[in-house]
Amino acid sequence: MNKERVVAPEKMFPEVPEKIFLFRSCTGSMEYPGTENAIKEVAKILGIEIVMDPDQTCCSGYLLTCSAYKPEFSLAVTARNLSIVEKHGLDTYMFCNGCQGYNLELAHIMHEHPEYKQMANDVIAKQGYHYEGKTDIRHVQEIWYRLKDEIAARVVRPLTGLKVASHYGCHYLAIQYGILDDAGYPTFHEEIYSALGATPVFYKERQMCCGYSVGRGFTHKETLVQPHLYKKFKSAKEAGVELMTTTCPGCNTALDREQPNLTKRYEEEFGIPVIDISQLIGLALGVPLEKLGFDANTIKMDGILKKLGIGKGDSDDN
Amino acid sequence: MPREKYRDHDENLRAKVDSYNLVENLETCLACGKCAGNCPVASLTPSYNPRQIISDVLNGNAERWLASEEIWRCFWCANCATVCPNDIHFPLLMMQLRYLATENKYGLKYLMPFRRFALRAREDGLTFGPSEKGREKIMRLRTNLGATPWPEISERAKAEYKELFDLTGATAYVEALSDEDEKPVDLRYTEGRITNE
Repeated sequence: MNKERVVAPEKMFPEVPEKIFLFRSCTGSMEYPGTENAIKEVAKILGIEIVMDPDQTCCSGYLLTCSAYKPEFSLAVTARNLSIVEKHGLDTYMFCNGCQGYNLELAHIMHEHPEYKQMANDVIAKQGYHYEGKTDIRHVQEIWYRLKDEIAARVVRPLTGLKVASHYGCHYLAIQYGILDDAGYPTFHEEIYSALGATPVFYKERQMCCGYSVGRGFTHKETLVQPHLYKKFKSAKEAGVELMTTTCPGCNTALDREQPNLTKRYEEEFGIPVIDISQLIGLALGVPLEKLGFDANTIKMDGILKKLGIGKGDSDDN
Repeated sequence: MPREKYRDHDENLRAKVDSYNLVENLETCLACGKCAGNCPVASLTPSYNPRQIISDVLNGNAERWLASEEIWRCFWCANCATVCPNDIHFPLLMMQLRYLATENKYGLKYLMPFRRFALRAREDGLTFGPSEKGREKIMRLRTNLGATPWPEISERAKAEYKELFDLTGATAYVEALSDEDEKPVDLRYTEGRITNE
């Protein structure tokens, strides 16, 4: 396990991988399927081959942290999924902070407690799997940041004048060791926006949690989640944010789906579309609009696209 | 302020809570309070205080948190762990506090909503797979993208996920979840504090 808190992208990837295993996210393939698709399109443009495996299942971490599963189950699931990646001889790339955080935490537990690794391996051996602990668990955003100059050179739809702000997502920053930036004040998303020609905006509550983790959106929506998100969006609006990006489909769900409820309750309109950072990169790199899946959004992207002068027919300029 | 009296001092509480040995450095807590200061839930619910909960666990006092609503408010954002000078993973303690609370029939109403999702995930191999109507929406969105109508998950993956549920005791655990003899919870760390409720 990594002992350094912050690792520079060139050190994290001395060479950019030619082929990566992309770990399917439940929310990223069902609630916002455009996320998964955008990653595939961006990877194609950057010349990175994506491998996925239909035998991979949900990481189970969300319901584990809701205390609905005991760790025995999630340890076995993690060992099984990661052993599938190991069969491909690749490193694992997540596009959901949750999947990454949970897999890393559970892999770390198995690394630190060999008895848990043994326990998980005993269970999955019945299905013909064996987990060694070789595969590294990373997030696709780390590759995008490593390749930001290359991305900048390939921009065909510059996002000039667009005020974009980030929601980093707690479960990436909370990894603490071996991440791209200082978890206390990260700026790598803002650097990516600049590479795309957009104007990064820093708002006061940008590192505030989405509020939907461990199911509080189901149990404490009125008491906690809505007042919490109201603070976040109020500060974003005050800073003039036009578009927000995430790196976690779960955060995206909270920030996008909850906005109409905030408007109803606080009688204040925010209208800030929330998309994945890979969708934003795809947009700037000229990926056809229909491949980015903005139609899954509650807060529509239409105003942003109009501002940028991107129309529906304007899809073959790649 | 009267000093708190622990009527139920339990010397083995720490081991009982952290039964999976996931927060082995808990006693290195400096009580510095950075966790509480950086907690978005504490900013809305002042009586939710990770430092105080850690102190109660280390001091063998389960009386307050076990039947508290506070422990069900944590977002698991892990800001507390991110700022902790000693890298104490409070969220992993929280997960286990909740196990112990529900074992003692507290807070089940905050766990029961996930029983249904867990049982459906057992069938789907994916979490938050929707109902029939939601399925149609997903299939339409995915088809518009030129992707397969349903996430590419194999029958083998689904069968093996289900089998892992059974082999690890998750099926039995989830199926047994019930709020029948549920005991009430309330905000229990409010003494001497200004609260919002």
